[in-house]
Amino acid sequence: MPELFIDGIRYEYEGSPKLLQFILDNGKEVPFFCYHPSMSAPANCRQCYVKVGMPVKDRETGEYELDENGERVIRWFPKMQTSCSLDITDGMVVHTQETSEEVARAQKDTMELILINHPLDCPICDQAGECPLQIQTYKYGPEGSRFEVKKVHKPKRVELGPRVTLDAERCINCTRCVRFTEEISETFQLTIASRGDKNYPITAPGKPFDDPYSVNTVDICPVGALTSTDFRFKARVWEMNQTPSIDITGGKGTNVDLWTRDNLVLRITPRYNAEVNDHWMPDAGREAYQRFNEKRISRPSIKIDGDNQVKTSWNNAIETFAETLEGNKPSDVVVIGSPHASVEENYSVMKFFSTWGVNNFHFAPHIEKGFGDDFLLTDDQAPNTNGVKALGIDESSDLNAAIKSAKVVVILSDELIDRGAIDASSLKGKYTVLLATNESQTSAAADLVIPVTCIAEHAASYVNVDGRVQRSFPAKETKYSNRKLNLEMSEGRLDRHGTYFDNWVTEENKIDCIPAWEVVSKLASRMGLDIAFDNSREIFEEVSSSVPLFKGINYERMDEENGVQLTGNSKEEVTA
Amino acid sequence: MANQYEFTPEDLQEIEDIKSKFPEVMPATLPTLWVAQRRFGHVEPDVQELVANTLGLPFSHVHGVATFYTQYYKEKKGKYVLDVCTTTSCQLCGGYDMLHYLEKKLGIKKGETTDDGLFSIQSVECLGACGYAPMMQITNDIYVNNLTEEKLDEVIKSLKAGKMPEFESVGMPQHTERS
Ligand code: SF4
Ligand code: FES
Repeated sequence: MPELFIDGIRYEYEGSPKLLQFILDNGKEVPFFCYHPSMSAPANCRQCYVKVGMPVKDRETGEYELDENGERVIRWFPKMQTSCSLDITDGMVVHTQETSEEVARAQKDTMELILINHPLDCPICDQAGECPLQIQTYKYGPEGSRFEVKKVHKPKRVELGPRVTLDAERCINCTRCVRFTEEISETFQLTIASRGDKNYPITAPGKPFDDPYSVNTVDICPVGALTSTDFRFKARVWEMNQTPSIDITGGKGTNVDLWTRDNLVLRITPRYNAEVNDHWMPDAGREAYQRFNEKRISRPSIKIDGDNQVKTSWNNAIETFAETLEGNKPSDVVVIGSPHASVEENYSVMKFFSTWGVNNFHFAPHIEKGFGDDFLLTDDQAPNTNGVKALGIDESSDLNAAIKSAKVVVILSDELIDRGAIDASSLKGKYTVLLATNESQTSAAADLVIPVTCIAEHAASYVNVDGRVQRSFPAKETKYSNRKLNLEMSEGRLDRHGTYFDNWVTEENKIDCIPAWEVVSKLASRMGLDIAFDNSREIFEEVSSSVPLFKGINYERMDEENGVQLTGNSKEEVTA
Repeated sequence: MANQYEFTPEDLQEIEDIKSKFPEVMPATLPTLWVAQRRFGHVEPDVQELVANTLGLPFSHVHGVATFYTQYYKEKKGKYVLDVCTTTSCQLCGGYDMLHYLEKKLGIKKGETTDDGLFSIQSVECLGACGYAPMMQITNDIYVNNLTEEKLDEVIKSLKAGKMPEFESVGMPQHTERS
């Protein structure tokens, strides 16, 4: 197998990797800015310098020439090489900054040049704390600068588009953002204008940067030049907790991270998953954080006189729910599952009602024709359509007809009236129970509203349009959960090390809600049915042993494999 | 808003010819911008967009290229653009004196255009004619060498009369010696 030597250690390689990527893949480090694994390597930042040489071969014999100590004679390339763009060749010898003073010095000097006109305004810059320029300057940069002349000034606070703000002075012209619009989103909306020390990225004159994937440029900008207009100045990165989750605004199941502080989700960023979304996510998915914070239903509410809802206690809500069911026959009840809710929620609700004797289950896919593209946006507006189908709930094109003869309608987390899947008038004269996360026209129409956890508050799984099941982790606390006790919850630096006074916590940000499976368990115990769910992990195990499509899948596998394709199926089988 | 600029059929033919010289369209950007600048006297944003649409390239790309090169005028300029060199050799030999003389004479500052739309003055970096400093270039074309105030007076006079100065062949010292 071909070999190379990096800092005196021998490595074998396959194929034709680029040197920088190979170094990174082997857990070593070389500083860099412009390189991005998903895009072309223009080698323009010059930060990834390494010293490279090739062993000398005897032309006649093809043997390596050896010196007096029996070591291979190395002919060094006359200049430093940019490792990001260099193809590895057999026998190559590489020195990084770890074993070569010269390389360390070259990197330091490059950094000094990059920083000539950089404003060094880290204290007021959103990128601080997650800034490759800041981090690498600390690790490899110069201690001061010899450039004591006035810095070049460039446009600041430029509204590039509706969601991205540019500070051209911070830009180091790595062209990552430009390459993103050329190679990934293919809208070609950005370019580098002007040249020399005056250049910066910009749109064509008078054109907005309204690329539906525009905020990805904010994520990949290695400095604070591109910032999210929405998130600007909201929080410092080190104050937030980062929790893996799934985008709920579409069917693609884009992997995301939820960033929380004081139990509010402040931003959503893409999480790398080569099988699903690579490093990217659509801008639309980032706005979902508002749903997690605002207009949440907290505490159950009930209609007592006319159309007025009032808040009520959990005991009363469960009691009312039970009495309503007991006052009717199972055949009078219709249960509507939800593509917006997880596999576990749909399963537990369905299990309870079928045990009690109901056999009238429906759900309505949430499709908006023409919304999707051939990238990450889908016509499917819900994260779990395939999950609900896989559980065997009937897909209904006409829910109004499906609920017509029912006396009691139970709806799981779905804004059916708002999205036009049922008419408000169809619920007239029936008793409607809604398990929901957010206030909506649908919740206003329900007789009993029971608040349940949203994806940011529970661990649960979702099956995407391609039949891949992936799961979420709880990111924010509810009134009844606790970051320190729930081992699935992430803890930020402040949670772990802060004093009581560092961790200011606003009680109002904790929603008074419980997971749907807990609602079901309470109801079952009140009604004397032998159904109890402790947590979603157990529910999923039950699903996996009873629903063939989920066979052999569990949370451990989903975590290790970054999501699992439903067993033995291609896309067609699941959607069929 | 419809673009106020349009290429003539001859221009379009020329652009087609340019395109046929390259395996891809992108390299045609530079020569096509020249066609446009020759036609309209500048390549302001609307012209850049026209070039982009004509070539079927992203507007942003054409904008990036146009702003990279100082020889493309990104705004309307005078009929004659006087590029006075103020880099080292010219600077030492009186480049700034020439610039300021012109500014005073035409009543505009560098970067400005006279009201009659005839002249613009720019101070530019080295034009590679250090041997004949101080010097200037007229509208990306003729070099006027070994400037003096008198020579500038003459040049302005002849330009006002619509006459470009003649190309001056300046021999290298070694050539002068030999002859
Ligand atoms: S704005 Fe950021 S991503 Fe774009 S070129 Fe500048 S530094 Fe690179
Ligand atoms: S990362 Fe190699 S030159 Fe920028």
